[in-house]
Amino acid sequence: MLQADLTIILPEIILSIYAMLALVAAVYTGKDKAAPMLVWITSALFVVLAVWIGMNGEGSTEAFGGMFIEDAFSRFGKVTILLSAAAVLVMSQDYMHRRGLLRFEYPLLVALAVVGMMVMVSSGDLMTLYMGLELQSLSLYVIASLRRESAKSTEAGLKYFVLGALSSGLLLYGASLVYGFSGTTLFAGIIEAAQGDYLPLGMLFGLVFMASGFAFKVSAVPFHMWTPDVYEGAPTPITAFFATAPKVAAMGLFARVMHDAFGGMVGDWQQIVALLAVLSMFLGAIAAIGQRDIKRLMAYSSIAHMGYALMGLAAGTAFGVQAMLVYMAIYVTMNIGTFAFILSMEKDGQPVTSIDSLNLLARAEPGKALAMLVLLFSLAGVPPLVGFFGKFYVLRAAYDAGLVWLAVAGVVASVIGAFYYLRIVYFMYFGEESEGLDGGKSAMLSGFLMASAAIMLIGIVNLFGIETPAAMAAAQLVN
Amino acid sequence: METVILFAPLVGAIIAGFGHRIIGDKAAQVVTTAMLFLAMALSWIVFLGHDGQMQQIEILRFIQSGDLNTSWGIRLDRLTTIMLVVITSVSALVHFYSIGYMAHDENFSEEESYRPRFFAYLSFFTFAMLTLVTSDNLVQMFFGWEGVGVASYLLIGFYFRKDSANAASIKAFVVNRVGDFGFALGIFGLFMMTGSIQFNDIFAAAPELAETTLTFLWRDWNAANLLAFLLFVGAMGKSAQLFLHTWLPDAMEGPTPVSALIHAATMVTAGVFLVARMSPLMEFAPDTMAFVTFLGATTAFVAASIGLVQNDIKRVIAYSTMSQLGYMFVAAGVGVYSVAMFHLFTHAFFKAMLFLGAGSVIHGMHHEQDMRNYGGLRKKLPMTFWAMMIGTLAITGVGIPLWTISGMPIGFAGFVSKDAIIESAYVGTMGGYGFWMLVIAALFTSFYSWRLMFLTFYGEARGDKHTHDHAHESPMIMLVPLGVLAIGSITAGMIWYGSFFGKQNEVIKYFGGHYTAPAEELAKEVAANNPKASKLKYVMEDAPGEAAIYIKPENTVLHEAHYVPTWVKLSPFVAMVIGFLTALWFYIWNPSIPGRLAANQRPLYLFLLNKWYFDEIYDFLFVKPASMIGRFLWKRGDGSTIDGMLNGLAMGIIPFFTRLAGKAQSGYLFTYAFAMVIGIVALITWMTLAGGAR
Amino acid sequence: MIGIEHYLTVAATLFVIGIFGLFLNRKNVIVLLMSIELMLLSVNINFVAFSSFLGDLVGQVFTLFVLTVAAAEAAIGLAILVCFFRNRGTIAVEDVNVMKG
Repeated sequence: MLQADLTIILPEIILSIYAMLALVAAVYTGKDKAAPMLVWITSALFVVLAVWIGMNGEGSTEAFGGMFIEDAFSRFGKVTILLSAAAVLVMSQDYMHRRGLLRFEYPLLVALAVVGMMVMVSSGDLMTLYMGLELQSLSLYVIASLRRESAKSTEAGLKYFVLGALSSGLLLYGASLVYGFSGTTLFAGIIEAAQGDYLPLGMLFGLVFMASGFAFKVSAVPFHMWTPDVYEGAPTPITAFFATAPKVAAMGLFARVMHDAFGGMVGDWQQIVALLAVLSMFLGAIAAIGQRDIKRLMAYSSIAHMGYALMGLAAGTAFGVQAMLVYMAIYVTMNIGTFAFILSMEKDGQPVTSIDSLNLLARAEPGKALAMLVLLFSLAGVPPLVGFFGKFYVLRAAYDAGLVWLAVAGVVASVIGAFYYLRIVYFMYFGEESEGLDGGKSAMLSGFLMASAAIMLIGIVNLFGIETPAAMAAAQLVN
Repeated sequence: METVILFAPLVGAIIAGFGHRIIGDKAAQVVTTAMLFLAMALSWIVFLGHDGQMQQIEILRFIQSGDLNTSWGIRLDRLTTIMLVVITSVSALVHFYSIGYMAHDENFSEEESYRPRFFAYLSFFTFAMLTLVTSDNLVQMFFGWEGVGVASYLLIGFYFRKDSANAASIKAFVVNRVGDFGFALGIFGLFMMTGSIQFNDIFAAAPELAETTLTFLWRDWNAANLLAFLLFVGAMGKSAQLFLHTWLPDAMEGPTPVSALIHAATMVTAGVFLVARMSPLMEFAPDTMAFVTFLGATTAFVAASIGLVQNDIKRVIAYSTMSQLGYMFVAAGVGVYSVAMFHLFTHAFFKAMLFLGAGSVIHGMHHEQDMRNYGGLRKKLPMTFWAMMIGTLAITGVGIPLWTISGMPIGFAGFVSKDAIIESAYVGTMGGYGFWMLVIAALFTSFYSWRLMFLTFYGEARGDKHTHDHAHESPMIMLVPLGVLAIGSITAGMIWYGSFFGKQNEVIKYFGGHYTAPAEELAKEVAANNPKASKLKYVMEDAPGEAAIYIKPENTVLHEAHYVPTWVKLSPFVAMVIGFLTALWFYIWNPSIPGRLAANQRPLYLFLLNKWYFDEIYDFLFVKPASMIGRFLWKRGDGSTIDGMLNGLAMGIIPFFTRLAGKAQSGYLFTYAFAMVIGIVALITWMTLAGGAR
Repeated sequence: MIGIEHYLTVAATLFVIGIFGLFLNRKNVIVLLMSIELMLLSVNINFVAFSSFLGDLVGQVFTLFVLTVAAAEAAIGLAILVCFFRNRGTIAVEDVNVMKG
């Protein structure tokens, strides 16, 4: 029995044992000299685990009496998380190394955060949920302030920590109420208790508190305030990491809890999620217009994108979850490409994040500018790029679920949001003469940028077949 | 082989259009021209070797969606082969001619590489036109239909620095859209009714359509009539029939070879081709056919009357083209599709030649186009003169009436085919409106054609003396195509008379059909109506769509047209002679008459000179109101309302919110925490109220 | 008789105090850490109260997990705070605002 359970969580076990052993080994041997190697090993391990999970898993199994669920949904989430984390690690190696940030803790903390995320998307119990969430969050607090000598980086870490702890508190309080009013912490038990039209107020409170905790993790308005500051303050590779894998995990957890535990009260949480979605879309679009720093801008951009993903969730249907998963996969791909570009922005060897430095980039580096143009258009959702199909998917899900007002709001917000993406394109192609960027000739980063842009173009054929696994994942999650 | 014919021009267009930087101007011209000559050679082989049986050749699968199944295929039958030789021959000759004509052009500087562009457009046009005529379904046809529209737009506006050329290209495009709208509606309708866009399926369903009614514009219509009419609207636009004709004269802004290829020989005849192609449907749409006849006859008359007084040499020929297209539609309208195709075929030769000849004159006269500034050019441009003379003899219809050598009439191409149309029109309209309009138009045709000849080549040199002194014959490369076309203009009518307008059985066989003896009542009825034509021996046996054209057994116009009264047979000849003599009198014997007549009959003269005021009426009816609506929407609707609102939003409200969001992001932890708490309080309040309400 | 509602009220009160401590306090970041601790402990009271009320041990197990995580959280919070203090020489909440807008 125990053996069967352990087999199911074998990927998580392998990853955490690897992280702990590597931590010990690095401390006693080479310390930071081992870091580059650890980055490669960690990302290789991520890829291997992603392939393993993607290839092996079949059907839906449970471990530890339902506390840990292994199904198509968790596999979809895990593969996305692992691959994006691997990509970000590989991208960041050179940047971190040249700025003396490549400590051996970095890849291992990322690995631990990834373990947390994998537990999150697989959780079948409030306790697993909490443990996964905290493992992830604690690792992220630390890597946000990885640049110890920088006031900004430590401030980012501090803000993230305090607000993250607050959100954990809210989530836990909600969890305690849910536990109290349903008598169990298992999702399978909660969903049975939380049925019918007349639910105890405590259950509703619990739901709202927990939803707020998740909203913080996906940085949905009004729980988004940490995002721009942390994105700006953290070293850029870490910002790239923040923008990708944890978002997928948090969104996966959100969907998991809403459907697996509160599947009987769709009508209740639908309103909350829809409200969060519409606020996020508009605030993301509007606030980004004022930004001159590309990292802050990407923070607002990801707030807006989370709004769209939440729109898929708000539909409350299997198709909505499918749309959300497709949207998240597309979002992660676009962000990896965009951050590969941001990582390559430098001048005199120093990283630059000001948008003004992009003036007339198209003249100096036409290839990169073109790839960036494709990505920005895709982020803005301009047809026929892949980003458009992601938006189209969630809009259709919302429309099909009868949330016409939400779909209309989504369209309006995307029109507003297109402005700031296109403004970057404008700067790159028609901007004023100014001292542009130099350097940033990393083949690795260019490769990621080009690949991501190419995916945005080629993917329009069939989205690389991502719809089928997403549909399967959604079907197993929503009953 | 057919595939090669179809794609050779496209290959040429791509090579010239995209590769001319690599291979150079000269090579681009040679490649496109060579491709076209290849296509022409193959087309003639196909044409002469074709046995009339329909073949279908699939090239690739195209659009598949639900019931809609479009494969790109070639429908090779008699109609297609006729169009193939017409298109590729004229196109090849025009390509060849253009090498000389476009060698120097004052609209472009020497450094500019405009020639490959021109040749690429010409070749692209040819490809689109071939797609149109070879298609085996309506969607592919529409594709070619729009393709030629685009090519025509590009070529009319080839001198893009001239405002008038740009305006003309836009006009051509817009007017054609009106027609295309009808065409597209027709296609939709046919697809709706038959569930297919394949010609085979549609034709097979044609008899059924005649029994069906269709609701359109709040009224019930006979489906066959309505759909045929909609398709004909498309044909009206492309073939410059009355009401949608205004673009054709303006299209003369394009280079002259373009006028010869597109606006005389090929594209404008697409409408006639469409009607002939859809003959299985048209045969079941008698009301539409009557309309086609009426409109064709009116167009022939109106265009010819305008042609009488025009002074621009190209415009005269343009109106002549429009008028001749009217003839073709009359033939199609009375149900003798073979005769319509016959005139299309012969007209392509002599009209292309007239245009190329006019181009040669214009070239020799340093781009002077006003005939009032010509005169006495016979000596200066002897070869061109003879070419134009042959063309004029052909278009005016010179020949020996009432006399045949073993069934073959003697005369220039236009004589044979035009007489065939007029005789058919006599039968088809029972000596009514259509017939008389065509006879009068024949008189006018003769007059304006000879007027053109006399003004250009005879009399005193007028206009700028310097230009006349330097007038020169065109180079050989431009004269050779004229010679080739001259052969066609002389012989095409006589050679193919039997195939297009011979005995009923001959024609049916030529178009790939089978004949059988008519039903007895039918033969009796024909004999009763027209005692001279009592020997109706053959009618078509095939079902609609099996042969290239379809002739209902009850449609005996072709048969009866051979037995019209003698005065009818003589009438076009007489009209031609009267026109010729009048022109001779006006412009050679007594050149002062035209001026005096114009002064005496000033309103009439102005009426004709201003083309029946069509442009002015349209300007008043459509253009002005449209631009007024446009301006209103722009100033009031767009400017005040939308721009005002959107700008207000974009410039005022959104930045306000952006600043607000920036201020909210104060950087202080307690603000952030407070926002979260406010958020959760708001959510809880809402849930309590909303949840409590349930 | 002390019933479940009394425990819940105490827990809710403590939780709200914790939250207020987070956004009313503008002086010292250490107080923020204390407030967070207070919130987590109030949740623990909730869990234990429910556990005993329901006669179900899971709530108490959960409490143990929360306690452990809270300890780790406090350790990490203090570590970040130390780094911050080294850079800025202050731990006043009002000074944590280099980034804004």
